[in-house]
Amino acid sequence: MTARPDRPSLAEPGGTTPSTTTPARSRLVRAELAKARAARSTLVLVALAPPFCALWAALLARLPAPDDAARVAGVYAMAQQAYVFAMLLGVMGTAGEYRHRTITWAFLATPGRGAVVAAKLAAYGLIGLLVAVPSAAATLLAGASLLSAGGHPALTGDVPLVLLGATASTVLYALLGVALGALIRSQVAAVALTVLLFAYGDYTLGLFLPDVYRWLPTGAARALGGLRPDSGPLLPWWGGGLLFGAYVAAFVLLARLVTLRRDVT
Amino acid sequence: MAGMTAIISVTGLGKSFGAVTAVDDLSFEAPPGAITAFLGPNGAGKTTTLRMVLGLVTPTRGAATIGGVPYRRLERPLERVGAVLESASFHPGLTGEAHLEAVRLAAGLPAARVGQVLEQVGLEAAGRRRVRAYSLGMRQRLALATALLGAPPVLVLDEPANGLDPDGVRWLRGFLRAYALEGNTVLVSTHVLAEIERIADHVVIIAGGRLRWSGALAPGTDLEDLYLEATR
Repeated sequence: MTARPDRPSLAEPGGTTPSTTTPARSRLVRAELAKARAARSTLVLVALAPPFCALWAALLARLPAPDDAARVAGVYAMAQQAYVFAMLLGVMGTAGEYRHRTITWAFLATPGRGAVVAAKLAAYGLIGLLVAVPSAAATLLAGASLLSAGGHPALTGDVPLVLLGATASTVLYALLGVALGALIRSQVAAVALTVLLFAYGDYTLGLFLPDVYRWLPTGAARALGGLRPDSGPLLPWWGGGLLFGAYVAAFVLLARLVTLRRDVT
Repeated sequence: MAGMTAIISVTGLGKSFGAVTAVDDLSFEAPPGAITAFLGPNGAGKTTTLRMVLGLVTPTRGAATIGGVPYRRLERPLERVGAVLESASFHPGLTGEAHLEAVRLAAGLPAARVGQVLEQVGLEAAGRRRVRAYSLGMRQRLALATALLGAPPVLVLDEPANGLDPDGVRWLRGFLRAYALEGNTVLVSTHVLAEIERIADHVVIIAGGRLRWSGALAPGTDLEDLYLEATR
């Protein structure tokens, strides 16, 4: 029996708000990472992303291209295909907490819910990086070896920027996933909706409305990752990065607002 | 004086979900050193009330405090209040230990607490197994272990005997009795009147979101009669 009877040190009425000091924040991030690491689905999704990107790069290296520069850019831009894994990780890490009702434990331990949301964003940003960097490396390896085997130039000066942009877009997608998971909460609905919307919906819309696509979230993200689709011109990489970042920030702010106000029943 | 910091006070508490009033002008107290039974029919508003006490649901009116402080303003809340909720749930892919470790990290508690609470609830052997393989009774014990992580002076329990076998029920009874005897506060909702009658010191009965009866449970009182009379 370790229960202690009385606590003379308890807060006075009207005591201070829950602490959000730096050690408290890093603890919360570690708690989120511990939960993520302990779930098998996390390991599977993190492990699948690099081979998936390498396969796309291999496919693009063999497809006909208008010229070598377009071929090289298209191959390395496949590093951004890791986005779907990063987004799913964010969605499942957040909606999963509502599905299994474990969010109750998180809010009991940290009633200042804004700190929980911030910790999830930080944790899944890191996990997004863990998806993005190996994926960029796998794309580079597969792309460079297949391009040179096919007798094409293997690298151009644009490649570092393409890989960096792809990494940034993948990390942003992880944050977007956290926000969408918190907004939708039903894990099945959140996974289905995000995949349909961000993998197909937006893109399909772009085929019909090529002038609009560059302003949509996925159009902006693809520009950031260096993709140059046939359907129409995209923004420059930096413009896409700013726009996609703004979309993600808007979803994150909305998710935070809703999370703070919502009853957990 | 110190004991009063662990009192649960509910004052004029109300909650409406749209046009539906779940809890209406509810006031009661759960004092330290006692077990307070929180009773009422299904849909009476018990769970909503407990969730307001724990800061999970925002009251429409009134307030719920622990030692005079609303849950959301408590510093290090898991060291003040432990909670076992009816829908207490776990990620099925996590081991009991991993679940406790995540909560422990978030609450900034010492690492040794995980092993201690597993032992306290008799789950040492199952700690490394995934929750998917747990029985309902084992989940209930894991929920209690989570509540005890911060060694809090207050326990709020929603149907804690749910799924426990007779051994478990007996163990829980002994545990709560000893816990309250040490000067701690226990607020427990249940439908199992015969069980709670054996250990409760105070009784709060609600129906339709309103207080119907509250007071000390005098020895020899038939709780079932009292309950049926109050909720009629």
